[in-house]
Amino acid sequence: MRSGLNYISFCKRRWPVFVLIGYTVAALSWSMPSGSMPGKRGVDAAVAPLMIGLNLWQSWDMFAPNPRSEDIWVGISYETLEGPSGEVPVTKMIEMSYFQRWQRERWRKYFNDHLRTDVESLLWRPYAEYLRNEIQAEGYKPSKIELTRWWRTTEKPVRSDLRADVRKTPWNSYTFYRWHVENPRGDTRQ
Amino acid sequence: MRDYLARFKKVLASLERWIMEPVDPRPLGLFRLWFGFLCLVNLALLWPDMPMWFGNDGVLPPEVHQRMTSGFRISFYTFTGYSDHAIVMMRLFGFLGGLGLLTGIFPRTSAFLTWMTASSIAWRNADILNSGDNLIRIGSFFLIFARSGESFNLVNLVQAWRGRPNSPYRTKIPAWPQRILQLQLCIVYFVAGVWKAKGDPWLDGSAVGTVLQLGEFQRFPIPDFVMTPFGSSVLTFFTLGFELAFPFLVWVPRLRVPVLVMGLSLHAGLEWMMNVQLFQWVITSYYLLFLRFKKNQFDKESIKTDA
Repeated sequence: MRSGLNYISFCKRRWPVFVLIGYTVAALSWSMPSGSMPGKRGVDAAVAPLMIGLNLWQSWDMFAPNPRSEDIWVGISYETLEGPSGEVPVTKMIEMSYFQRWQRERWRKYFNDHLRTDVESLLWRPYAEYLRNEIQAEGYKPSKIELTRWWRTTEKPVRSDLRADVRKTPWNSYTFYRWHVENPRGDTRQ
Repeated sequence: MRDYLARFKKVLASLERWIMEPVDPRPLGLFRLWFGFLCLVNLALLWPDMPMWFGNDGVLPPEVHQRMTSGFRISFYTFTGYSDHAIVMMRLFGFLGGLGLLTGIFPRTSAFLTWMTASSIAWRNADILNSGDNLIRIGSFFLIFARSGESFNLVNLVQAWRGRPNSPYRTKIPAWPQRILQLQLCIVYFVAGVWKAKGDPWLDGSAVGTVLQLGEFQRFPIPDFVMTPFGSSVLTFFTLGFELAFPFLVWVPRLRVPVLVMGLSLHAGLEWMMNVQLFQWVITSYYLLFLRFKKNQFDKESIKTDA
């Protein structure tokens, strides 16, 4: 009985030690690549409710294991019933001012890393609808909205003329979503 | 056997001392101040686009968001549900939280508000997050438990200005929140290094050359000598080596200053060449936790790293 009380007292006094060690193991296991740490699956499962619930989840795989081998941007084009149409290179960062590309870094993240991809196609229609509302707010009736991805492959070995702002390589493009707005159910995947 | 046991106990005792013994409040105070400023800048950059990213009429309406998320997470949305009132809360409490951290007034409450704001952002649209957001969310969480307001706060500054300094640095504070944040930085570097070491481009020296061709990240003009196979190899291996070595070398007293200076150089270079918003600033703010202030006077102090 007495040793039990001593044990509780021992733990009570040292709770920061347990918190620190516990968190370090949890965070390390959570963010390491699978197969890089023994017991990772078990630790992750055990700590998931806390790491997710308290928003301590994390990932540190920037440009790893392989950096993207394609330079990318996403563009939109639209037509309106009144006549005006437009093309907007939403995430062609290199053509933006230094401040704008800094402020719009999250746009790059959202469009290039997520909306662009086929696996996240559920993002396409909501964005097209958002765009429709924006165009309507300017007093026009949009009739067609298209989302297009543009890309060009990086090269090896690297040379100074491959720098994005001076590179001459033409872009490839593919319109991955087209929405005929006058017929709300008439959206088509390309 | 007894010898090993005795050594093990000794190591455990030093670890316990390292975590439990009270420390100088100034490194954490300075970190809180600069971290709070960065939280305010982060909020300002996000401010105009918040309705688009988080609004019910934005790019991620509730019915789509529900399909993308699962599990319980604490955030303002826990209380508001899918409501645009949460955007008002993020703006208001994010501002108050950042301001509180910057000034050291109600630092724990401010850290809580900052953490709630960062958590709400992360929950409502995780597709816009960068690694700087992760560091803000985690840093503010542990600041909730830290006595980070003991130094570098507005009250002390005003009193010092009036010629009545109140010796704010004599009160030592619990070390463990600072230790966790120090270890968090080590985890960031180590894990990033391990991930990179699994990719061929990081092992053959071509990774940086590839990244620098991506116009989506390009910021200020990149010097020509960097855009060569040799330049790419040097920067690739330096990045990989630094990330894997930092978590170990930063604890060696003699090496700490060189390691931190190398880290600052690395991130300054990345900040020049690459556009990742506040990431370089937020990660280097954690470096402040490794500083040691030599003297007790605010105006005469010199900074040394912790020996």
